[in-house]
Amino acid sequence: MPTHPNLRADRTEGTGAMNTPSARSIYVARSLPAAIDALNEYGSAGAPFAGGTWIMRSPIRHEPHQPHYVAIGKIPELTAIRIDADIVEIGAAVTHAALASALADLPEFNVLATAAGRSANPAIRAMATVGGNLSTSGFAAADCVPALLCLDAEVEISSRGDHERIGLERFLKIRPTLGPGRLLTRIMLPRSERKTAHARLPLRKSGDYPAAIVSLAVSFDATDRVQAARIAVGSVEPVARRWERLEAALVGGPLDPAQAAEVAVELANEFSGRDSVELPAWYRVSVLPSLVRRAAVAALDARMES
Amino acid sequence: MVLSLTVNGDRLSSPTDPITPLIDVLREDFHLTGAKPVCREGFCGACMVLVDGLPTLSCLIPAALADGCEIRTVEGLAVDGTLTPIQAALEASDAVQCGMCFPGMVVTLTHLLTTKPGATREDIRAALTGNICRCTGYERIVEAALIAAAGK
Repeated sequence: MPTHPNLRADRTEGTGAMNTPSARSIYVARSLPAAIDALNEYGSAGAPFAGGTWIMRSPIRHEPHQPHYVAIGKIPELTAIRIDADIVEIGAAVTHAALASALADLPEFNVLATAAGRSANPAIRAMATVGGNLSTSGFAAADCVPALLCLDAEVEISSRGDHERIGLERFLKIRPTLGPGRLLTRIMLPRSERKTAHARLPLRKSGDYPAAIVSLAVSFDATDRVQAARIAVGSVEPVARRWERLEAALVGGPLDPAQAAEVAVELANEFSGRDSVELPAWYRVSVLPSLVRRAAVAALDARMES
Repeated sequence: MVLSLTVNGDRLSSPTDPITPLIDVLREDFHLTGAKPVCREGFCGACMVLVDGLPTLSCLIPAALADGCEIRTVEGLAVDGTLTPIQAALEASDAVQCGMCFPGMVVTLTHLLTTKPGATREDIRAALTGNICRCTGYERIVEAALIAAAGK
């Protein structure tokens, strides 16, 4: 690549980030093997580029760009959604807008359709990808992460000649250390009879990151009692996680939003909120019971509609 | 690296770094200063342009990924100096205030009224959720869009 003639194009200037513009490249991969080969070749100097909504803001976070990016948004299998009778498979480069649209008529995935369809704003949703949401360790407020946790998602990690399938909770633990050449390629969701809901509290109705997120999936027995529950909390701590004690407390009884919120008040102290420029840590924790109540109401509404 | 971009029907080239945001190439290399780099985070919508017909935040797309796409900026909407219906409605409604958000508003509304000619107030408000007007002049903007949608 020729030396860049004009340094104004390097938007890291003055932000503390350092890069040599002339050394950077974006390779647009047309197939998965090509993308993985390129990532292997670049090693630690390269990274996948999906929607770019996080990477392009690196200068604002005073983080340098990687020297090389491998664009994965044009790889057919990564932009496909397959809906079968017992499983839904989502390519990692599926955008939030495409995901929300594809799941719109599947009530059991309300939680994910809402997460994908309400995040940020329309133009961001047309760019941001589900795989980007899962792979970005620094993005605590990603809506799709708690939604997929409550749906018991598994993910596929591809590398040269290998496809590994692991649970999402495990992936969230290993993602900061995922080696070069290993790429999140698919998300697998088991299908089942359940009611789901996604409750989020942004500072404004649209556009802002949520202060806190509660994602809920519940199944009921023949007597309308909660048979199984999965609840995940996002944006409160640096990494989204399940709220297992609350899940256990809900099982065996009817889903009562007020009672669920009361239990959430008792159990909320197991979360350590994260401080940020827009919100203090305590506030994120304090709104959790209200979000639990809202999620329970939405799940019951979905049950009434079915 | 020399990028070749199609902007408002013209084939233009830029010897730019591939990760450079499209907005910077449009403004600084091609001198198309309608789109504004305000937040550079995708939250304000002032940098909105149409890429292959879709409203796109030009602060978040690297110029290299716009190569081969049809890019249309606010400068390329009017044909032979004749305002489009939404541009005319915004002018007639005196909806423009400081002008910083406006190119983005016009681009977003152009797409909405193209894809949904009979857009309702709710459709317009939903479409504009990613376009922030710091002058808070939303009501006149929405009213102008309703006038354009009604073909008045």
